[in-house]
Amino acid sequence: MTVNNTIAHQRLILTGDRERFKELLRRRLIECGWRDQVRMLCRDAVKETEGNNVTLDTLVTRVTPRARALVPDTVKKELLQKIKTHLLTQKEH
Amino acid sequence: MNDMNGCIHLNNFKAAKGVNPYKVVHAFFVACTSQEARMYKATACLCFVCSQPGPRLHSCLHCIYFGCYEGHMQEHSKTKKHFLYIDLNHGNVFCAQCQDYIYDQELADIATRNRLKGAKSLGLSAPFMSWVPNANEAAALRRLRKRRMISPNTTIGLRGLQNLGSTCFMNCIVQTLIHTPLLRDYFLGERHKCKPSGAGKCLVCEVSKLFQEFYSGAKTPLTLHRLLHLIWTHARHLAGYEQQDAHEFFIATLDVLHRHCMNGLEDVEKKENGRCNCIIDQIFTGGLQSDVVCTCCSGVSTTIDPFWDISLDVAGPGSLQACLERFTRAEHLGSGAKIKCSNCRAYRESTKQLTLETLPIVASFHLKRFEHSEQIDRKISTFVSFPAELDMTPFMSSHRRAVDTADNNNGPEGVFEDNRYSLFAVVNHLGSLDAGHYTAYVRQMKGSWFKCDDHMITRADLAEVLDSEGYLLFYHKTVLEYECDV
Repeated sequence: MTVNNTIAHQRLILTGDRERFKELLRRRLIECGWRDQVRMLCRDAVKETEGNNVTLDTLVTRVTPRARALVPDTVKKELLQKIKTHLLTQKEH
Repeated sequence: MNDMNGCIHLNNFKAAKGVNPYKVVHAFFVACTSQEARMYKATACLCFVCSQPGPRLHSCLHCIYFGCYEGHMQEHSKTKKHFLYIDLNHGNVFCAQCQDYIYDQELADIATRNRLKGAKSLGLSAPFMSWVPNANEAAALRRLRKRRMISPNTTIGLRGLQNLGSTCFMNCIVQTLIHTPLLRDYFLGERHKCKPSGAGKCLVCEVSKLFQEFYSGAKTPLTLHRLLHLIWTHARHLAGYEQQDAHEFFIATLDVLHRHCMNGLEDVEKKENGRCNCIIDQIFTGGLQSDVVCTCCSGVSTTIDPFWDISLDVAGPGSLQACLERFTRAEHLGSGAKIKCSNCRAYRESTKQLTLETLPIVASFHLKRFEHSEQIDRKISTFVSFPAELDMTPFMSSHRRAVDTADNNNGPEGVFEDNRYSLFAVVNHLGSLDAGHYTAYVRQMKGSWFKCDDHMITRADLAEVLDSEGYLLFYHKTVLEYECDV
C-alpha cells in the first residue's frame, strides 16, 4: 500500500464509510442471488471432499476463484463508481 | 468442523480468562461499536511484521498482537504458543491446535450484539435476522402437522369479493390491503390483540379475520357486509348505497384502522416523537416537507406534515415520474398570494416547494383523474405511464437540497440510501364518471399478478398491468430496513 492508499483506507474506516460500502455490497450480492450461488458451490465442495475433514482454508481455496468470477459486472461497476465518486468528493482536511 | 460448543482448547481458555478478551477485541476491531473504536481500528489494525492492514488480519486472543494470515499470525502463534486468534474481518476464532475456525454459541451471541451496536452507532439498518421459533411456537409447530406448501403456481391468498351493489370501490381497496406484504405479515402473525371492549366493533379485528379467510384455502367469493357496516358506522360520510370514490374510501379506511389500533392491548400510548407507532402509521405514513422561501430576504420557513398518500395532477400525457417532478418543483406564489415572512415582518411574495422528507414503506399515489368544477364534472383518461420499479431519491428533501445548492448530489447519504420501490397494486376506474366500475391488479408473489374484478380473479401479466389506465398506484419499499434495541 502506498501512503495515499493507507490514508484513504484509514479515512474509510474512521468515518464508518467502509462499513457502509460493505453493507451496500452485501445487499447487492444477496439481491442478485450471488450469495445463494456461492452457498451451493460450498455445499458441492464439501460433498466432493473425501472424508469429513473440510477446513475453512480448503473451502476458501476451492471456492474463491469461481465465486469471484460469479460477481456480476453491474455490481462491480456500481461499487467502483460509488467509491470513486465518494473519495473524490471528500473534502480535504 | 465441530458443533456449537467450541473446542476443548477454547473452552479451557474461557474457563481461565472468561469471554472478556474476545468481547473487547470484537467490540473494538471487528464490529467497531463506537467512534473511539473506529479510531483505533483505522490507526492500529496493521500486521506487526509487515505493517499492512491485510489480507485477513487476525488478532491474538492471548496478548496484544496483530498478524496477517499470510504467515505472520501463524509464526506468532507457534513461537509464543498462543493458539487462539480472531479473524478481524468476520470475528471468528481460529484454534491452531485444531487447525480450524471454532463455533461457539456464547461468542457468537457476543458477536451478534456487537454487530447490532456497531450498525446502530453508524445509523445503519440492523442486519436482517430470520425468524427463530420460541419454545411455544416450536411446540405449536410440532402439534399442528398440517403444512401448506407455497409453489410457483399457488393461488394462496386469492379470493373474489361479492359486489353488494356498487361496492367495487371497497372490493378493490380490500384486495390492495390484503396484498400489502407488511400488512399481511402483521395480520397473519396475529399481532393485533384486542381489548374485550373492542369485540364486534373493531375494524382491525375485522381485517384480521379477513386475512384468515383469504388464506384459509377456500375459493368461494367472500361477502364483506360486516366490514362495510363497520366503515359506515365509523366513517359516516361514506354511508349509503351509491358508488363511492375508491381513493376516499382508502383514506377513510386507513383512518378508522389507525383509530381502532388503539383498541389493541399492546398498542396504547406508543407515540414516538409525536408520531403514532400503530401498524398503519408504520407502513403508510411519510413526511411531506414544505419550504416557503421569501423572495425578499431568502428566509426559509419549513414545515413537515404527515401524509398517507400523494395526490398528483394529471396534466397531459406523461409519466408518474414527471408528475412527481412537477409535484416537487418550486412554485412561485405570485403577488396575489403573499405570505407573512417572519424575518421581514411583512407580507411578501414567495416560492413554495414540496419535497418528501421521509418516505413511507408503502408509497400510495392518487392520480387526480376526476375533475370537479362549478361548470362540469369530468374524468381525465389521459395516459400516464408508471414503472414497475421506482426510485424515489430525486423527490426527497435531502436530494433536492443537495441539487439546489449545487453541492454534489452524490453526497455520502445519497450513496447509501436505498429508496427503491416496487409496484404491487393498481386500482383502475373503468367507464365514465356516473357509470363506472373499479377493478384492481394485485401482485400475489414476485412476478405473479392477478386481476381482481369483484368475484372474478384472473391471472394477469405485468405488461397488462403497466398498460392499464391507473387511478391509484401502490408501491412497496424494495429493501426493508430494520431497527433493533441493543
